[in-house]
Amino acid sequence: MSYERIKIWSILLRLYHWSFAGSIVVLVVTGLYINTPWTNSLIENHNGFPMATMRYIHFLAGFIFTAAVIMRLFLLFFGNKFERASDFAPVTARNIKSIPAQIMTYLYLRKSDEQHLGHNVLAGTSYLLTFFFALGQLISGFYLLYPESANWQWWGLTFFGPQQQARNIHHLLMWYFIFFAVIHIYLVIWNDIKGKDGLISSIFTGEKFKKI
Amino acid sequence: MSDDTQSDHFGPEINRRSFIKGCSIMAAAMGLSESIVPQMVEAATAPGRPPVLWLHFQECTGCTESLLRGSHPDIGRLILDIISLDYHETIMAAAGHQAEANLHATLDKYAGKFICVVEGAIPTKDNGIYCQIAGRTAMDILAEVAPKAAAIISIGTCASFGGLQAAAPNPTGAVGVQDLVSGTPIINIPGCPPNPISFLGTVLHYLTFNKLPALDHLNRPKFAYGRKIHDQCERRPHFDEGRFVDQFGDEAHKQGYCLYKVGCKGPGTYSNCPVVRFNDVGSWPVGVGHGCIGCTEPNFWDTMTPFYERMPQVKIPMGDGIISEVDSTGKKVLGVTAAAIGAHAAVGIGKSMMCKDCKKDDNQGEKS
Repeated sequence: MSYERIKIWSILLRLYHWSFAGSIVVLVVTGLYINTPWTNSLIENHNGFPMATMRYIHFLAGFIFTAAVIMRLFLLFFGNKFERASDFAPVTARNIKSIPAQIMTYLYLRKSDEQHLGHNVLAGTSYLLTFFFALGQLISGFYLLYPESANWQWWGLTFFGPQQQARNIHHLLMWYFIFFAVIHIYLVIWNDIKGKDGLISSIFTGEKFKKI
Repeated sequence: MSDDTQSDHFGPEINRRSFIKGCSIMAAAMGLSESIVPQMVEAATAPGRPPVLWLHFQECTGCTESLLRGSHPDIGRLILDIISLDYHETIMAAAGHQAEANLHATLDKYAGKFICVVEGAIPTKDNGIYCQIAGRTAMDILAEVAPKAAAIISIGTCASFGGLQAAAPNPTGAVGVQDLVSGTPIINIPGCPPNPISFLGTVLHYLTFNKLPALDHLNRPKFAYGRKIHDQCERRPHFDEGRFVDQFGDEAHKQGYCLYKVGCKGPGTYSNCPVVRFNDVGSWPVGVGHGCIGCTEPNFWDTMTPFYERMPQVKIPMGDGIISEVDSTGKKVLGVTAAAIGAHAAVGIGKSMMCKDCKKDDNQGEKS
């Protein structure tokens, strides 16, 4: 059996993926610290600022997260064929039909020889959901970061309500990202083992393998 | 306004309710439990009020002025019911030889039992001739009174550390009480002026427990001087997040931001000012937009000046405060993103302009 290498993911998409993944790891760790500081408050003094430092790192990671979301937003409309929302959103009959088929495959009830060069539709749909939640995290986050800004107040009050409600939603959405990361990593490893297209390496090289 | 509130703040008399309230405020200021309040009330109302001699040396009477504005208890209650103020040049009725007689009567009768309060620095140059009362130098008077006192309270920065008079070049050789007296317990209540709460709290602590409160390494009571202004300041969040006043009267000043960059010495000054505030009006210097000048610290006229320039070697989180730093870094991150997207778009457009077939190719995935 022979394969050819096909370029799937542009450099911008890979840059998006890793800045998104990296910033989420940092955001979760620092976010949990802000929620429940695990250092002794006695080390808070004029020369050491564990909370201020954690918050700074969190905010900086938040900007990188924002940059990643903007990159993905651009690619959803102006990326290559595989990067566009139209490729993997459940909007066409063919795409919608492939979702239950993909679930059956994951349940070992169906053996799939179908090759997805881009995202499979189930994965793509979950990525769109993640993108939607990322926007929620972004808006609630900036609302919390700039509580006195009239613009962010408008966005925050429109979508989340008062500060404390936004804080709760911001915290709950964090758990979505944790669950997503766990499932995502499990399934890409599963697909890398079961599939032949070199799924994991594609997010480093941008290339997948296609049967000739 | 009720009678109670009236007497609390302005009246010459005080009712029991507001007296107990005063004792409770004092207990809170010293960090004591409310269960101590009855004991404190008892001590403050016990017969046989402890005699107090109040000596004025090189000073401006600002500390006395500040004490006159104390209200928990007020000055009337303090000198008529709690202590027996036998000598105080500003407020005593006696004058001349009569005053001197009072001073010496207390010295003889209550030797080892009275409390001596000193206000003002003591000049030592040229045998101390720069401050004389009743023909005697301050050094002489202190040398006579100090050994007989049960304890000495140095009120104000001058009596504690020399203060303004001791500022370089210190023309009169002024020093604080602790530089001249040994053998008698000394407690320093520095400040310019100190808060009356800190002084009255110390007095009530002594009357209640018959011993002085816990002191720091500069002999200041820890309940009042145990923590930095900076660490208790209401403007502290602005410091951490990087919202600073750059110039008096600017927009940040109007917003009530941190005064560190216009010279606030809060990061180097120990006092309870942000917590107890002054004169029952809930205000203090930083609260009204002026930085701390560090007046409770030794040699502050030399070490805390210039008053309107930022204190060196104070670490601001992340260099200039976390929010202002993240604002500038965040803008750069977003700028780089915009550039990356622009480059991506330019390459895409460029490619499709160079060969029409590439578009189709791209849709199939590029072979490489």
